[in-house]
Amino acid sequence: MIEAVKQRIKIHFKALLKYDKAARLVIFALAPIFLVQLFVELPAAASVGAHLGRHHSQTTGQITQTAAAGGARTPQLQEGRTLFDENCSSCHGINAAGSKLAPGLRGLGAGVINLWVSSGWMPLANPGAEPARKPALFNSQQTNAISEYVASLSKGGIPILYPDLKGASVEEGFSIFALNCAPCHTITGAGDALSNGLYAPPLHGLTSTQVAEAVRSGPNNMPVFSTGVISKSQLKDLVAYVTKYIEHPDNPGGLGLGGVGPVAEGFIGLFIGVGLCLLVAFWIGDRTEKEEKEDSHSKGNKKSETGVKHA
Amino acid sequence: MIDAIYNWIDDRLALSKSGRHLLNKIFPDHWSFMIGEIALYSFIVLLISGVFLTLYFVPSGATVIYHGAYKPLDGTRVSDAYASTINITFAVRGGLFMRQLHHWAANIFVGSIVVHMLRVFFTGAFRRPREANWMIGATLLILAIFNGFLGYSIPDDLVSGTGIRIAFSILESIPFVGTNLAFFLFGGNYPGKDIIPRFFILHVLVLPLIILALLGAHLGMLVKHKHSQFKGRGARNDNVVGSPLWPNYAAKAGGFFFLTTGVTAILAALIQINPIWQYGPYVPYKVSYAVQPDWYMGWLDGALRVMPSWEIHLPGHMIPNVFFPGILLPGVTFTLIYLWPFIESKFITHDYAEHHLLDRPRDNPMRTAIGSAVFAFYFVLFGASSTDVLANYLQVSLNVVLWIFRISCIVVPIIVFPIAYKICLELQQVPEAGKRKRHMIIVRDDQGAYHSVDSEEYPGYIAPELAPVKIEDVDLAPEIEALNTSADRPDEGIYQIPRE
Repeated sequence: MIEAVKQRIKIHFKALLKYDKAARLVIFALAPIFLVQLFVELPAAASVGAHLGRHHSQTTGQITQTAAAGGARTPQLQEGRTLFDENCSSCHGINAAGSKLAPGLRGLGAGVINLWVSSGWMPLANPGAEPARKPALFNSQQTNAISEYVASLSKGGIPILYPDLKGASVEEGFSIFALNCAPCHTITGAGDALSNGLYAPPLHGLTSTQVAEAVRSGPNNMPVFSTGVISKSQLKDLVAYVTKYIEHPDNPGGLGLGGVGPVAEGFIGLFIGVGLCLLVAFWIGDRTEKEEKEDSHSKGNKKSETGVKHA
Repeated sequence: MIDAIYNWIDDRLALSKSGRHLLNKIFPDHWSFMIGEIALYSFIVLLISGVFLTLYFVPSGATVIYHGAYKPLDGTRVSDAYASTINITFAVRGGLFMRQLHHWAANIFVGSIVVHMLRVFFTGAFRRPREANWMIGATLLILAIFNGFLGYSIPDDLVSGTGIRIAFSILESIPFVGTNLAFFLFGGNYPGKDIIPRFFILHVLVLPLIILALLGAHLGMLVKHKHSQFKGRGARNDNVVGSPLWPNYAAKAGGFFFLTTGVTAILAALIQINPIWQYGPYVPYKVSYAVQPDWYMGWLDGALRVMPSWEIHLPGHMIPNVFFPGILLPGVTFTLIYLWPFIESKFITHDYAEHHLLDRPRDNPMRTAIGSAVFAFYFVLFGASSTDVLANYLQVSLNVVLWIFRISCIVVPIIVFPIAYKICLELQQVPEAGKRKRHMIIVRDDQGAYHSVDSEEYPGYIAPELAPVKIEDVDLAPEIEALNTSADRPDEGIYQIPRE
């Protein structure tokens, strides 16, 4: 029985080997990658799409309620409206009502708009691109104008937050950070890739306003931390810790290595530490070319006159 | 007077006889023989900096309230171990430097052991009569990795605490005895208060003593067996060719000690390692994403990440998934390492003779190919411990990176094996490969025509059989012979000593 199975495997294996080996190898190597892409990437993209869709229908629902709320009554709102119409409305629709390309923005509040625009996520590099950190297109006055304009279109949402950091406790903030933020952003705030193509961005180069708004609004796949989870005073503590110690980590030991921990340290330890020691060994361990030359020269010179050689 | 004292001592201890013998030990001149010394020297650095750190470290899991220089921790409830480590960092003069020196030295210690081991493996230096010393070396590697992990764990910070948690779970995964074993080692359920003091005693006393003893045995056997050596320069299986310990090699080794220490100190002074104040104290319900162990545990971490979530259900007992990468893999790995000298002579070379002349890797293609493939496997696992960092850096999905590592830890060794084998065979066909090349010099003659002329031969291009030369006026043991004719500068010559 077993012999027969063995025989069969042998025959099949030989038959397999007859085919073009190189082509098979390439297919074997590439197939899993495609499969993974298929099963991992597609559902992730689909879920993001569904999320956007849900968002969209919510906001369009609100339009009917507050359709007349729009309008630019102050110079700031007028500026905001102009900027919005020029830069945002082609996707987010006139009066931020949304379109097939992008969700409506009504009811999100000035804080959310401020966060997305000031971080450079919006406007996107091109329609359909993933939001990515880049230099903000507008200055803070323009950003605020857009934010206030969109907020003026409907009620609700988060206002632009200016946390007052006086008397905030970084000790408390550190503890809150370790509990709520470190599980994704890492304890040093370096950020990291999460599963299924999601990621937690690095927390460097943020303003206190952005930190507070992100906590309260939960951009992208980040959860919303409401006042029930992080109270108002705790938010101040957290913002104080992030803006003081995550933005400017205390690195008395020298080069901070980006706060990514043992991976970077291991590379330095192996390639610079052990590497330098090996170079040193190479330098002093071998007889140098000069020494060898001298040896061979002295040998060569003495050869003619030598009687010293001892067999 | 001094002579008299010296003679009195020497009469009783016979130092000069054995000392003379030791000082006359011949060290072959090849830089790759010095890799083990890096480990030795960084171990000395570890001992010295470690003693300094024990003076200030409090090995206790008891809760204290930290008050000190680092503001975000002020008033926080932390363990004594963590608070004292923070105090070493910020309050003890030179404390941070010593901490970093200790940690970088540990990285270099394990790293150089691995490189040393690769050198010994690929040159076949483990063959008879050195199998036992190979096994001692493998034990030293295990102990070094363990002690590194313990030392990484005892400051009780958030990142290392997660590592202890993983270690506890790995212990628990051992079939039948796992839970008992884990409770026995940790003094009860995780986390408990006993971890820090227990790890501390293991880290500063038990393991260093064993390492020291084995190191003594390692070096003792090295002296007993005498060095192995590469072919050429008159080296034969029955002699050792090189420089004697005193004065040539002592100068080299002494200088090398200071340079190794210097490299470590430069790292310690310029590059920050393990900033535990940024990590905060370990609290079981807090966790930081993306924590890795130190690099020498990386292959295990990578194996845990790469392993699919398979479990084996036996009747009445389940073998959990972490058992395979966490216990089985290192178990098999080190068993194979221990047994390799015997596996090789029994199944590959069928060669049981004594070998003092080293192979070049190409001389034994099967060994080199197997070694390269296995090393490639562990290198892939090592890389897999940074899946998240790579995914973040390359901006690809973490799952894709994970799957690429899953596939490559099988595919890469399979690719590496035939390539290494083939390269060895090809190199065997080219006798001049690896030797210094002679360059061509283009000259123009009177007629204006160009000719290419070979340059003068480099010394050592052909290693001649050197004839021994007698030297009267050097204080060397009678059995040592000088191997060149530069009798006017005998200290710079090469010497040989017969093997018994």
